[in-house]
Amino acid sequence: MKKTSPLSVALAFLVVALPLGWGLYRSVKNSMPLFTASKAPAPAPAAPVPGPAGAPATK
Amino acid sequence: MASFLDRERTVAPPGFSRWLVPPAAIAVQMCVGEIYGFSVFNIPLTRAIGITRSVPGQDWTVPHVVLCTYSLGLVMLGLSAAFLGKWVEREGPRKTMCVSACCFCGGLAVAALGVHLHSLPVLALGYGVIGGIGLGLGYIAPVSTLVKWFPDRPGMATGLAIMGFGSGALVGAPFAVELMNRFRTPASIGVEETFLVMAACYFAMMCFGAWIVRVPAPGWKPEGFAAATRSGKLVTANQVVADEALKTPQFYLLWGVLCCNVTAGIGILSQASPMCQDMFGVSPVVAGGFVGLLSIFNMVGRFLWSSASDFTGRKAIYAVFFLLGCALYCLIPFSQRIGSVAMFVGLTCIIISMYGGGFATIPAYLRDLFGTIQVGAIHGRVITSWSMAAILGPQLVTYLSSYQKAHGVPRSEAYNTTLYIMAGILLVGLVCNLLVRQVDPRHHMAENGVPNPEGSKA
Repeated sequence: MKKTSPLSVALAFLVVALPLGWGLYRSVKNSMPLFTASKAPAPAPAAPVPGPAGAPATK
Repeated sequence: MASFLDRERTVAPPGFSRWLVPPAAIAVQMCVGEIYGFSVFNIPLTRAIGITRSVPGQDWTVPHVVLCTYSLGLVMLGLSAAFLGKWVEREGPRKTMCVSACCFCGGLAVAALGVHLHSLPVLALGYGVIGGIGLGLGYIAPVSTLVKWFPDRPGMATGLAIMGFGSGALVGAPFAVELMNRFRTPASIGVEETFLVMAACYFAMMCFGAWIVRVPAPGWKPEGFAAATRSGKLVTANQVVADEALKTPQFYLLWGVLCCNVTAGIGILSQASPMCQDMFGVSPVVAGGFVGLLSIFNMVGRFLWSSASDFTGRKAIYAVFFLLGCALYCLIPFSQRIGSVAMFVGLTCIIISMYGGGFATIPAYLRDLFGTIQVGAIHGRVITSWSMAAILGPQLVTYLSSYQKAHGVPRSEAYNTTLYIMAGILLVGLVCNLLVRQVDPRHHMAENGVPNPEGSKA
């Protein structure tokens, strides 16, 4: 009986973790303004626009 | 080649580690989940002719692009998952993943041709129809495979796979933006080349998933795991086939559970950026950061909540989604009144994590009630509720908030009524969830593989 090597499992996870990690890094970087920007004074903007091109608008 | 794809060739040999299957599932789901990040193409596609600006009468408009790509793709996802679910169960995950890769990536290539010819029907045929079929197949095949490999932790297994789908936007959106920036020239928006490169990369990734995926041998069970021989409170040891499941009230109750959960969550997600700007007066850049943060919670919630359901039971976890979700929705207007952006972000992040959790837990709930034999096919039919919710949720939020604004309600308070309605929808979902009982034994499959009119022994 040939057992699957733990290295194969680790490599398989690495293949999907690399793009996932990159995407996560980019999203965290995009969310930073939320924590660094202070609230703008009222009134609210008249015409809200969607997020910047890099921000995924998920559904 | 054909035999390599056959189900018989994918049966795992003794000694095969089931932990190779989650990366296979994530690889496929992460690619097809790209549709969540498709909005980054909306504006560039409306400038295919004008390049720097949209030319009225010649360039496409955003509603046309969204309808022919995103909306059509999601509708085709629901339809293909519903109608091809039984084929997926019969042919096995490898062939399904390969067909999914051909459809999804081939669809992207046809969409590139549509951009090249500036033909909306070709774009719709490529991304919406052909790509949408690939989406549906790629969504259900890994889930049903993982459920069979992890009978001891079905919630964690489905959470892993569906987390992959949630991560599609995190990877796909910035990847697409990088490629468009690279290929943009004074004469081209770069979308055509971007579609082609993405098709090639996604095809490689999906084939990787198809290559390493395996199905468990008949009778296989994890080491030390004793399969239940008697049905528990809501976990059956019996099997119900997809056609028979349609005759049970449980199927429709779970359809309602998913529809309510998704309607409420998708309403927030689709309007997250304008809602944040209207309610708190933050800048578009900050609101964009908020959308990115929601994507992360959407992805993480899929894994965490679904894994937690292995310990609490599915009914209990959905009760948490609906009760806690209802309370959190009602608190959002309060966060606006006291002007706390932090509280608003915290509330919406938890809500969105539960939205993702609802998606990820439903296959395990189906497995508990109907067994594993055709769980993929049943899952495919249940996720038609997603298509319904994808229309209901955003329409509710957009229509009601616009109506309020038109009738003189301040922008910052225009979402309050919608949020209370969303809380009400969650209560409807709670009722559906509370009505879920064990499937009547007359629907169980007998030894000879047909529904048992007398009911099974277990």
